[in-house]
Order: sequence, then C-alpha cells, then structure tokens
Amino acid sequence: MNLAEKSDVIVTDGVTKVYAADGIPVNALCGIDLAIRQGEFTALMGPSGSGKTTLLNIVSGLDDPTEGNVWLAGKIISDMSGNELSDFRRDNIGFIFQAYNLIPVLTVEENVEYIMLLQGVPKAERHDRVASILEAVGLKGLADRNPPQLSGGQQRVAIARAMVSQPAIILADEPTANLDSKTGADLLAIMNRLNVETGMTFVFSTHDPMVRESARRLITLRDGQIDTDETKCSG
Amino acid sequence: MVLRIAFRNIFRQKRRTILTALAMIVGFTLSSVFIGWSDGAYGDIITMFTRNRIGHIQVHRQGYLDKPSLYKTISDYTAVGEAIQTIAGVEAWTPRVFGAGLGSVDERSTTVQIVGVDPVREIETTRFDKKVIEGRTLGDTPSHDIVIGKGLAKTLSATLGSEMVLFSQGADGSIANDVYTIVGILESGDDATDRVTCYLNLEDAQELLVLNGRIHEIVLTVSKINQVPKITKAIETRLNDSTLHVAPWQEVAKSFYRAMQSDKQGDAIGRIVIMLIVAIGVLNTVLMSVLERTREYGVLKAVGTKPTQIFRLVLSEVAIISLGSICVGALLGVLANHLLSIYGITLPEEFTYGGVKFQTMYAEVNARSLIIPAITVLLSALVVGLFPAIKAARILPAKAMRTH
Repeated sequence: MNLAEKSDVIVTDGVTKVYAADGIPVNALCGIDLAIRQGEFTALMGPSGSGKTTLLNIVSGLDDPTEGNVWLAGKIISDMSGNELSDFRRDNIGFIFQAYNLIPVLTVEENVEYIMLLQGVPKAERHDRVASILEAVGLKGLADRNPPQLSGGQQRVAIARAMVSQPAIILADEPTANLDSKTGADLLAIMNRLNVETGMTFVFSTHDPMVRESARRLITLRDGQIDTDETKCSG
Repeated sequence: MVLRIAFRNIFRQKRRTILTALAMIVGFTLSSVFIGWSDGAYGDIITMFTRNRIGHIQVHRQGYLDKPSLYKTISDYTAVGEAIQTIAGVEAWTPRVFGAGLGSVDERSTTVQIVGVDPVREIETTRFDKKVIEGRTLGDTPSHDIVIGKGLAKTLSATLGSEMVLFSQGADGSIANDVYTIVGILESGDDATDRVTCYLNLEDAQELLVLNGRIHEIVLTVSKINQVPKITKAIETRLNDSTLHVAPWQEVAKSFYRAMQSDKQGDAIGRIVIMLIVAIGVLNTVLMSVLERTREYGVLKAVGTKPTQIFRLVLSEVAIISLGSICVGALLGVLANHLLSIYGITLPEEFTYGGVKFQTMYAEVNARSLIIPAITVLLSALVVGLFPAIKAARILPAKAMRTH
C-alpha cells in the first residue's frame, strides 16, 4: 500500500504505556487517540516526562504499547513480525534523534548511504542522492569524515540520513536541542522546504520555540495525555 | 555493509579483539600440537610395533588367530607369498611357524615358544638382524642354530655357544626333540616375549615340529600404512581362498589397538577442555562487546536493519576474528609440530607401549592437526557467539537507545 494514497498516515487508538520504575508502575501515556495526516508538519510539545518521546517511539514501532493499537499506512504494527517492521521502518520512516545516533565506524557518506544499501538502491543512484542531500544540509565536501570529527555537524548528518531515502514520515525527537540557534534555524528551514516540496510528513517532539513557530499543528501532552491539539490557519 | 561494519567494529576495541584472538590462537595452537604430538607418538608406536614384530597384514588358516593350533597350517606358502608380492604397495613378506615346548640348557629348563623364521625374508620384513644384541643372526640354511630372547637367556643362564635342547610335540603326534647351538641373543623391545621366545631357521623348525614344509603365518609389510585396509582387501581378492584369513594389524593386535584407541579418546577429552577454555573466553568478550554496543544495535534496528542482519553482524565479527586467529594458529601449529618432528622430546625415562620401548617422542605435521582445531575453534566461537547474536537481534530499539 502506498502511504501517499492514505490521508491518515499515523493513527493511534487508546495507546497506553506503563513503565515499571523500580517495580512501581509509571503511566507514560494514557489512552492516546491521535491521527496524523499526510504532509502535516506537527510539533509534540509538553514538559519533560509528558510522554513525547514515548509516543514517537510507539508510533514508529521502536517500542511496544502496553495497551492500544498503532496503524501505520493502514497496518497495525503489532501484527508485523520483527523483519516486517524493520522493512516498514526502512522504507517509510526517517528518524532524527536528539543524540544523533550515528554509526561511529561509518563515515558521513556511509551513514547517509546505509538505509539505501538496505533498500538495494543502485550504487550510482546512492552516490547521487548522498551528494545531493549532503549539499542540502551543508555538508558538501565532508563525506569522508567520521561523524565525531564534525563539530556541530552530526545532527546535519542525522537529518541527511533520515531524509535521503525520501520516506513518507520523518519522526524527529528534539532535533534542535543540541544545536546553536542558527544551525537549528537552518535545519528547520531545510525540513520545512522538504515538507512543502515533497509532501513528507514531519512529527517533532520539541521544547524549541523556533520549532513551535514553524509547525502547522501543535499537540501538547501533559502527564501522558493530549492536553491541546491546535492546527494553525494556513497563510 | 554488514560485513564492513563487522570488520571495522573489530578494530574499534583493539585490546579486546587481541584478547579474543589470543584465546583462539592459543587454543588452536595447543590443540594442533596436541594432535600432531599424539599422531606422531602413536605413529611411531604403530610403526615400531608393526615393523619390528607383527607386520602390517598377516595371513593364516581360518580360525588360527582366534585359537592358534599346530595343525592349522598353510601348505603351499610360497605360492601364497608370491601372489601377495605382486600386489601394489606390498613391500615384503615372510613365513613363520610356531610351536610350544620345553627348552633346557644344562640343568635349567623352562617353557618356550618356538618360532621358525626364514632369516632372509624375516630380515627384509621385520629387520630381524637388528634385534640381535649378542652373537649373530640365524644362517640362511638350516644348521641347528638357535637365537634366544634376552630374558630367556637369563632364565636359562645361557650364553653364546651353549647347547639348548628343545622338547615339543610334532604335528604327527610324535615327541619332538633336538639339540641346537645358541648363536645369538635377541632383544625385541617386548620383555614378555623375550622371556619365552627362541628362533630357529624355518626348515629346522618344520623338521622339529614335523610340519613337512607347512607354515602357520605369513607376515607382510606395506609401503604406506594408511593403505593397509585397501591392500588387505586386494589380498583377499587375489588369494580367493575361503580357507585363508587375511587380517590387518588392527585385528592381529586387537588389545594393543583397543588400548591405543582408548588413549586417543583420552586425548580428545583434553582437546575438549582446551576448547572449552577458548569458548568461555570468546563468550565473555563477545558478550561484553554486544552489551557495550546495545545502543548501536538499537539504532541499526531503528533505521531499518532486520533482526536477521543484526544477528549476522555479530556472528560475522566472531567469524572474522576466528578466521584470522585460525590462520595465525595454523602457522604456529605447523611450526611447533615441525620442530617437534625434527627434535622430538626425550623423556627422562624410557617407557614401554605395546611391548615396544620408547624414550624420544616425535610430533607429526599433518592435515588433521590443522583441520580439527580449525573446525573446533570456528564452531565453538560461532556457537558461543549465538547467544550474544540472538540477544542483539532481539533488542527492542527504544529500550536499547536508552542505554549508555
């Protein structure tokens, strides 16, 4: 099924997550019902511990809900096997993590190229797409560097990695948290442009006012529940 | 890409990789030397045992091996021997007769085993002359000479030139007795045999035991001991005689062969212990490596790497280290076995195995001493790598990425 044909790309139904902290159950999410439409540029806001990262992890299948279901492109992800879920993430979801999470033994180019290798994209096309995305995120000429050698540039690599395979959904967990305001603004502009040009769906968890300004839909979580859900008027 | 990541991961923690590889290299080398040494020692023992005494293959009348008897003989042994000699791989053959009797020198008497040999053929086949430590070997023609074992000479207080009277029973039922001159004293390496055995020229023995040209045993040697089963079958086919029994040395010396096999099984236990030590070392380091990189495996899974690919990644790292260690271990193993095959190790005191005395033991460089350790190292490393690999493959990405 092509995600672009469906209006709602992410749907959650009564998603609850309970962690056991030292044997004491902690409700991270309580009955979240949510639908994210294709092409939305959504920010998940809320104080620390409100459940933003947990919600992102659950909608992407990186974590299991204690209760409830998540539909991605019309499929319940809990029904998918480990390999099916990996394939689905590889082909449909791009991740940007607060802590970058790059593979340290791979160069910048190899980190960005990795997902396309898993997808079996031909070498020439991989090379072109890597060159193009690195230029777009301002890393032209740095393809052979190792990620730790890029002071302040690792998040750009992470963004390039998330977007190079042109997934339908980009999930970003505090993408600008470790960046200076100029770099953060630059990367936000890149993501905004891609959203407009390609129709990619972006969901951010963030505290950053700059991201809040850019987002066209604002969902606020509080104590694991949706507190507010506002859509800005276009234009 | 999985292989590329695996390869680079190996060089990330050089100290740990070196420790893992060292465990494998030491295990491989020890195992290789263990096998080379064991094969070399047993090879020497088998060579000495067969070349000096029983030969590689023997031919008897059916039933003789299980229950030896004066009357279970081979009549036209020359024709049988000549037929055997034409088979490729056969080096030499010699006929023997056996009888039990009483031997006396002056006032002293004892039970003896009489062995009639063809001196020329016996020298070609079992180096009979090299075992004579005093005097000379038997003459080519029958002349009532006798060579006796060292222990028998001591029992009878016999010296060279002494006259020895043998009493036995002839195959015709008559009382057999005759006088022989001791011309040589022999040491076969088996003290028990040397305490009772005396050797006559074949014709003298046939005359004493009234065998009329018949013999009890044909002993033959082959150029390559590993061809014994094949040559045994070839002899059976060539002779095509259901009254004759062709037996390889393993059947002739059953108890010796069984004892040796038991010893070899004991060696296998030693090898298993070595490999267990290797396996525990590998498990420890691989498990540590996986635990340290839990977060990375979580990231790899998050971006779409399948659990099976993560599984392959961990096992690839183990396999790469194993193969590298096997190469280094093989070089060291060959070198050690080669040096031990030249210089050997001389034990403080000689020991007897299968009635043969040894003091210096030599190793052997052979394919077994490389193939068995290689398979064992690779398999044990992969088997112990399975648990960490499964653990890495089943990691829940979100949980893995929360680890530091």
